[in-house]
Amino acid sequence: MTAARPAAGQALPRVTATRDLAVAAALTAFLIALPLAGWQGNLRLIFTTLLWTTCSIAWNLVGGFAGQVSFGFAVFYGLGAYTAAVLITAGHVNPYLSLAGAALVAAAASLLIGLPTFRLRGPYFAIATIGVNEAVRVVMNNLEALGAASGYRVDELAGGRRVPFVMEHHYLTAVVIFGLALVVSILVARSRFGLALNAIRDDEDAAADTGINPFLHKLAVHALAAALVGAAGGAYARYAAFIDPSGVFNFNNSVSILLMPVIGGLATIWGPVIGGAVYGIVQEELVARFAQIHLGLYGALLILVILFEPGGVVGLARRIWKALVHRRATGAPVQAGGVKA
Amino acid sequence: MGWLDVLNLLVASLLLAGIYTTMSFGMTIIYGVMKIINLAHAGFMMLGAYFVFELFNRVGLNPILGALLAFPVFFVLGMAVHWLLVRWLPVSDQPTLPSLLLLFGLWLVLQNIGYAIWGNHDRSIYTDMTLATVKVGPLTLSVVQLVVFAVAVVSLVLLQLLLTRTWFGRAVRALTQNPFAGRLVGIDTARTARLSFGLGIAFAGLAGALLASLYSFDPDFGRPFLLRSFVIIVLGGLESFAGVALGALILALVETFSVQFVPAGYQMAISFSLLVVALLVLPGGVASLLERRGRAT
Repeated sequence: MTAARPAAGQALPRVTATRDLAVAAALTAFLIALPLAGWQGNLRLIFTTLLWTTCSIAWNLVGGFAGQVSFGFAVFYGLGAYTAAVLITAGHVNPYLSLAGAALVAAAASLLIGLPTFRLRGPYFAIATIGVNEAVRVVMNNLEALGAASGYRVDELAGGRRVPFVMEHHYLTAVVIFGLALVVSILVARSRFGLALNAIRDDEDAAADTGINPFLHKLAVHALAAALVGAAGGAYARYAAFIDPSGVFNFNNSVSILLMPVIGGLATIWGPVIGGAVYGIVQEELVARFAQIHLGLYGALLILVILFEPGGVVGLARRIWKALVHRRATGAPVQAGGVKA
Repeated sequence: MGWLDVLNLLVASLLLAGIYTTMSFGMTIIYGVMKIINLAHAGFMMLGAYFVFELFNRVGLNPILGALLAFPVFFVLGMAVHWLLVRWLPVSDQPTLPSLLLLFGLWLVLQNIGYAIWGNHDRSIYTDMTLATVKVGPLTLSVVQLVVFAVAVVSLVLLQLLLTRTWFGRAVRALTQNPFAGRLVGIDTARTARLSFGLGIAFAGLAGALLASLYSFDPDFGRPFLLRSFVIIVLGGLESFAGVALGALILALVETFSVQFVPAGYQMAISFSLLVVALLVLPGGVASLLERRGRAT
């Protein structure tokens, strides 16, 4: 899909980006090929999983690479969903264009939220995002213009007639958004910008001393992540054809978005993807069967991950790999672990 | 609004501030000693409410007595949780991502235990006292609110005595100010942390139990109160015990008076605007402002 841009200066980190990008391209191509090859499986499941995974990757940009834990990503998901819904229904905008609009609005909102909250350090920022999430949900719940608590129906019209529902279109949209998120994540991880984010996570003052502007970096990565989540929210709105504040702005969504990268492996490229895939598939199965206890299971999982394997699935895999292949025990620079001890 | 309305609202705010302070103290103690933001606070408040509810329903125990009983029970529960989970967290002089996530996970688990046992119906505790009122001069006050306020104030006075008059209290204050210096002078940090965590959870349980007499509750009960605790401790400064009381009073005043002008649906939004404003204007809380004043003079 997208080739790595020519390396400017930072030669070392870019080298490995090619391999990751190749894997990403292969994965995306495979996902695109699935329905085209006439596969009749559960596209809906993969669709929702891809949207979750996109959010997971996006959260990891902010929470993993930059170490800014946010409990408020549902805000971007919901705003993206509402933006796309309004653009499609009231504005009669091309649905794909309206997804771009959703991304833009979410990014703009992230700046609005980030301007005050990124002046805060670590825990204060996390607390503030819980507040922002609840405040936005409350406002949307009372906003009569957008249907308030009773929600908003998405009517997609073409030439005065309702556009029929084609699962493949939704699916391919999700694949493209997912692929985009993956490429963004890889490019961020393997760039100067990503290194700067890591520096901010590890020690904000020291990072500032080396000439990095932590505030601007945080704002930028927040906006990038919000745009991806907003697009995912927009795709969801178009697919679901009906959205309401307690659905899309639900605090549980913020929780889920945060859980996936933690379970998969924080501050890695493939951790959030694995976490998202596991979560998406398990979620669909669990919600159907044990609607009331699935969050408790995730809570228990979260506790186990933090206590026993802060590196998540990826960290566990690395540890097993190391145990199997002894000769790799020294030398190779392991990517920063993500969790600050 | 006549002056009587204003007076009524002021008294209502004060009563509310009492319970808000109790609820937020638990978080402050834990944060002060361990630099952990206890996101599971809401879960323990919820358990506190159901603890009283069950005792009231099964044994017919008065909910206020139940709340008093909740304190020691949750103290032990808190120490157990600390022993089981919290003590494995890396020690740090600032909140870490693992601590945030661990307690967050614990909250999810507690919430789901709540759902598993009690389902998601709204419950409430109704006694002879619930609707009783007393007349104090021109004011009509709810008896439950007064009793809850009294319990809250007494618990806070006792806590204050504990913190200022005992060796444990001194250790808590020392660790709050400087954990490393505290260790240097021979404070048993592990033991102090365990006791403080127990104390913090005990206050969460007590607050939840008291709130159960005032409001209806479900397994998601603690969340709005957790968010209020955040507003309060941020307003008060995360480590200042006097600041917390002041923060609680400010939030209670804002909430009580804003109902007059803003639809009730927007209540939480107001608290959060307050949170963001407080974070921006007073990063050290109201206490830091007072301190600065004190230093200047």
